[in-house]
Amino acid sequence: MSPRPVAVVGAAAVSAAGLCWRGLASRTIEPARSRELEASHPGTLAFEVPPIPPAADAGDARARKAMSRPARLAAIAAREALADAGFRGGAEATGYFLGVGASGGPVSEMLAMLLGSLDAQGEVSPARLGAEGLAASNPLFTFHVLNNFTLCHGAILSGIQGPNAALFSRGGGTVTALREAAFAVGEGDCDRALAGGADTALHPVTWSELCRDGFAAGGLVPGEGAALLALERIGGGGSPLAYLERASVLAGRRHSLEEVLEAAVASEPDRPVDHLILAPWGEAARAALHRFARRALPGAPILDVTRRLGESLAATPALAWVSALDLLTAGSSARALVLSAGIDGDLGLVTLAREPHR
Amino acid sequence: MITPVITGVGVVSGFGVGTATFLDALAAGRSAVGPIQSFDARTFPTRVAAEVPVRRADGAWLGSLGVDMALASCWEREGRLRDRKVAFAVLAAAEAWRHAGCGPRDAADAGLSIALGLEHGFLDDFAVLLREGALDWSADPGAALPPVRHRSTVDLAARAVEELLGLRGITTIHASACAAGGLAVAHAAALVRRGDADLVLCGGADSMVNPLGIGGMSRIGAPSPRSELDACRPFDRRRDGLVIGEGAALFVVEAEPHALARGARPLARLLGWGSTQDAYRLSAPRPDGSAARRAMERALARAGLPPSAVDYVNAHGTGTVLNDPAEVRAIRGALGAHAERVPVSSIKGAVGHLMAASGAIEIAACLLPLQRGLCPGTAHHRERDPECDLDIVGEAPRRLAVSVALTNSFGFGGQNVSVVLGRSP
Repeated sequence: MSPRPVAVVGAAAVSAAGLCWRGLASRTIEPARSRELEASHPGTLAFEVPPIPPAADAGDARARKAMSRPARLAAIAAREALADAGFRGGAEATGYFLGVGASGGPVSEMLAMLLGSLDAQGEVSPARLGAEGLAASNPLFTFHVLNNFTLCHGAILSGIQGPNAALFSRGGGTVTALREAAFAVGEGDCDRALAGGADTALHPVTWSELCRDGFAAGGLVPGEGAALLALERIGGGGSPLAYLERASVLAGRRHSLEEVLEAAVASEPDRPVDHLILAPWGEAARAALHRFARRALPGAPILDVTRRLGESLAATPALAWVSALDLLTAGSSARALVLSAGIDGDLGLVTLAREPHR
Repeated sequence: MITPVITGVGVVSGFGVGTATFLDALAAGRSAVGPIQSFDARTFPTRVAAEVPVRRADGAWLGSLGVDMALASCWEREGRLRDRKVAFAVLAAAEAWRHAGCGPRDAADAGLSIALGLEHGFLDDFAVLLREGALDWSADPGAALPPVRHRSTVDLAARAVEELLGLRGITTIHASACAAGGLAVAHAAALVRRGDADLVLCGGADSMVNPLGIGGMSRIGAPSPRSELDACRPFDRRRDGLVIGEGAALFVVEAEPHALARGARPLARLLGWGSTQDAYRLSAPRPDGSAARRAMERALARAGLPPSAVDYVNAHGTGTVLNDPAEVRAIRGALGAHAERVPVSSIKGAVGHLMAASGAIEIAACLLPLQRGLCPGTAHHRERDPECDLDIVGEAPRRLAVSVALTNSFGFGGQNVSVVLGRSP
């Protein structure tokens, strides 16, 4: 079952392109030497969010001390999306559904804990950890580690009190977040909702895992970001920028990616798309999505968001939707299909259109 | 309107492995809290937990409980079982699947909606990267450590469950802290109710009973500072913090007609659910309980039931100074005058706080009143608190015919969820 179409009335994106969503699809950004990875993996090229001006940052300095990097980016995006949509008041009627990634505690805190936990032989000793290691780290380390806080900081700072869920995402979870938000709005659980994802591949442990699993050698360029769509019931009073027609996750374990793609597009033959936005995770998914795009929609322009903005993990599908919204509002597209393929094998399909489907 | 029903349950708790073990222990008013055994916690601020009674949740243990030994050995070699919640999820999933009478044919379409806690960090693995007081990432010894190293991934337990049962539907992993378990079951019910799925395995698994888990929670002052067996005393005047638990609870949820058509016996109905956000503080609930109240109101509205229909409230009841009175205000706000007549209890004094899995195991606990007519007691609740002046069920379970149960889960960070369950005819 598909959610009822809902209006997209605003958006926000924090990415290597900065804090903007309009123009995101046309901006050309080159990866640069990562500041976040400089200490652990010097020289790594990445799509990193540029330094955030103090006036645009999330909360105050005290609040930011408790924020992981994705939580900070998400909090900025939540504030911007609410403003972009003109959502004021109605905190209880505003939902928030977010795809989130792994924990993001500062390595410096973990190192302090580790050094305080070594015994005379240089081995980690639980007794030393309990006696000294724990006290060597900042208690706020725990707040950084809790990955639901990627959602909660933004909700607290922006006063969002409606239905909500943080979903762990390797791609599919972020699309599920959008689908749940669309159902929540369409079924009247809330009048409006923010939906998207926030994550970073620039945490040393995460990047180390991506290197270990062969993604770095396969050409993956790490990125980071947060992106949100602001949804409202059609006729809800806002000014629609576009309409969310479909947000589906298809299980990749049942069929090959190509079979899933064919079936998904064949299910809507009467509503052609004129733009394909792709968000593949890794080269295998990229090859499959591009192969399909060339065969199923020959001539349709293709925007590969992962290539343009880097692999931002749980944020990548949402950056792709916002790029699609940019194309729609700029008049470059009337109906765009966003395909995201995560490493869990699940495929995300999101269709955005400039005009409501009749 | 399709009614989602629970047709299978699997539980791993501080009482041991199995739903009957869990429900029997609750019915007997027992507590699973004891000194931590799985690691040397003598120097830790918190030294007690409701620990699953196994020192190493490894492949041999899984094999002894009927899990395919080849699979369990493979998980062990890959380092997946270093994270205890993986084994707990697998055992609870296997029991729920078996209990519901599901087999390979059901797995082809079955989805998984599971709440999983944080990654388990392995400090030892980081230690091998140490060079002169700093981490040298280029020194990663690769093959010298198992593939799962430095930390387990959040979705590790979900992948093991998929592998064990051959699930091929969509997997959703809920990461909403202590509200995640309730949200995972609510999500499964929503999928079934709107026709997205016929059958979903859902619930939660978690373990923070490890040095970094216990240590991290202790650093923010969540557990009781007393390492006593009655460390967690929900709604008691002397309450001073939670006690950490571990385990898993998984359910097979399906459309009632689907269950009846395949001959499965519905155990309970999932009637309603609702979620809200406090938007207040990271580590303290909104004192007036207003957002938690709205979660309950939304759940009842979805169920189409008035407050007076609620026969029993299974509270989040962490035993912390701030949570319990805020929850009492929320219950009173949601149920009005009826709140004075409804028995309320918390099982966290007995099985601890299972974090991401807490909502799930508390849904399992609701089967005790719904199926056996017995409301679980509130372990270690001895002194009434004027701030928590509802009808709190004391340490002994209470006999009561219950048709509708309401269960609450409120997460660190302000996420709230309430679920309404109904007795199956």
